[in-house]
Amino acid sequence: MEIIIQQLINAVQLGAVYALIALGYSMVYGIIRLINFAHGDIFMVGAFIGFLLAVKFKLPFVFILLLTMFLTALLGIAIERIAYHKLRNAHRMSLVITALGVGTFLENLVRLAVGPQTRQIPAQLSNNILHLTNGIVVTEDKLLIIGISIMLMIVLWLFVNKTLIGKAMRAVADNIDVVPLMGINVDMIVSVTFAIGSALAAAGGIFFGQSYSIEPYMGIDLGWKAFIAAVVGGIGSIEGAVVGSFILAGIEVFTVAYLSSNLKNGIAFALLIILLVIWPYGIMGKPSLKKV
Amino acid sequence: MLEKAIIGKKSISAGSLKWIRLNAFFLISAAFVQMLGNIGFINQYYIHILTVMGMNIILVASLNLLNGYLGEFALGHAGFMGIGAYSGALIAIYLGLPFFPRLFFSLAGAAIVSGVVAYIIGLITFKTVGDYLAVITLGFNMIIVNIIQNIDFVGGPRGLVGIPKSTNFFIVAVCLSFTYTVLRNLVYSNYGRLWISIRENLIASELMGVNIIRMKNLAFTIAASFAGLAGSLWAQYQQFINPKSFDYTKTTEILVMLYLGGTGSLSGSILGVVVYTITMEILRNLLEFNPRLVELRMVISPMILIVIMLTRQFGLMGKREWKWIQPEKEGN
Repeated sequence: MEIIIQQLINAVQLGAVYALIALGYSMVYGIIRLINFAHGDIFMVGAFIGFLLAVKFKLPFVFILLLTMFLTALLGIAIERIAYHKLRNAHRMSLVITALGVGTFLENLVRLAVGPQTRQIPAQLSNNILHLTNGIVVTEDKLLIIGISIMLMIVLWLFVNKTLIGKAMRAVADNIDVVPLMGINVDMIVSVTFAIGSALAAAGGIFFGQSYSIEPYMGIDLGWKAFIAAVVGGIGSIEGAVVGSFILAGIEVFTVAYLSSNLKNGIAFALLIILLVIWPYGIMGKPSLKKV
Repeated sequence: MLEKAIIGKKSISAGSLKWIRLNAFFLISAAFVQMLGNIGFINQYYIHILTVMGMNIILVASLNLLNGYLGEFALGHAGFMGIGAYSGALIAIYLGLPFFPRLFFSLAGAAIVSGVVAYIIGLITFKTVGDYLAVITLGFNMIIVNIIQNIDFVGGPRGLVGIPKSTNFFIVAVCLSFTYTVLRNLVYSNYGRLWISIRENLIASELMGVNIIRMKNLAFTIAASFAGLAGSLWAQYQQFINPKSFDYTKTTEILVMLYLGGTGSLSGSILGVVVYTITMEILRNLLEFNPRLVELRMVISPMILIVIMLTRQFGLMGKREWKWIQPEKEGN
């Protein structure tokens, strides 16, 4: 029982990182129907900006987090303006392939800049061990990471559901053609979406770097996984992205704990495929009705 | 009239004759290039690049059937290449046949195994559409790689070694010519028209009585068979295969070449592979004088891709065809 709860905490921590990435995928998809394959690499860039700020400038953790989120948000806006903006009304697949190109570009640029070796972000948070009841132990940084992630998700939910810009975002997601007629600046909304998505991914990158080593190609693997989590939850839905991420992380962590770490990806994806066959539009997704 | 329908056309049409001549010319020049390479007249480096290009064209053109003509977004092509590579390699190693039967059976066997696996996967896959289909095919790609990694008999994550070398440029050229003949005839047959009708308007073609799922699965199976063929060629060319080389990085490379050339165009598949490979090699040679700059090529090539996408949305060819690939219009 203790082991299960212990693994559950690990799963929640990994799930929080997946969720922070998956939210960006889901929001961008919701707004402009683009699978932003560069998103995993934006997450990676965020982790490396955090690494540089921590190693070169030795800033305190809060500043690292905020500054990284800000800089990565600017990167997200720049990518959208330069690479995606012109293709918004183009064929969907040319947008997707551009996103793949941007992703490869970011990976190789970072590799050129910092080299291919893996690195560790120096620990910023105390890793004092806390003893909970029944012999369950948890480190403080884990709790903090989980706490901040959940806080970010709540802030995002409030932003999307309670503010005027959030309302405009939902309107754009609903019908991008009608929204300009209502006097909403679509370009601005798309930029805001990319900024938020990238900032969340950057936070995910820093949290990931607290527990795992980082390298320029890590965005591919985590990006695909977060994408799958977003789709399983129902792409375009914020709640769905979070639910999908925790399910994926849970499956992965428990497969490693009870079966074999070699089977991790295989079993995770097999279960996800089964989920998608049961719920073809994702757990929280709305089936899109086709009109003839 | 009925006789004609049963026997088919009495003589070979002018279009087919042109195609046969074209292929014969291609194969003869391929054999010539291979011979010149064997006697050392052409640098082995160029032969190697041509061989890799040939295998990539088979991969890209077969994926084109699925992503271009059928209009779905499948992300698992490298997985089927992997199945073909492993089954072809096992046939080549363990059946102990002489050269030509070995080559034939390992290629045909690989194509059949990949096709059968794809057919079964397709039964599940085509319950979904759009982005969900993309995820499921991607998921199967990862599962295939993961399963291979866990089979110790084929070397697991270490890979499979000691595959006899049977593939050279000429063999690849023969397979390429076969692939293009089949794909071209399919694309311009009724099946091709059905696929395009599904791409253009799924609901309308369903109303016309097209069995959507069956047609989609057919395209999926055929595409996977050719991916298996290319995988088997690859295995017997490299003599060493490793599950990692068939994961989504390979899928991404295939996708990039496909969309660079243009979907829904068999000429585009050739052009995409050729342009991509040559650009990469030229950049490698240009930047050779400084090892630090060789890395730069990995940054430049995605930039080229982005610029091409921004200036030519449908890729280089985008649904257009070179004239020599198109069959003659009826009545001409």
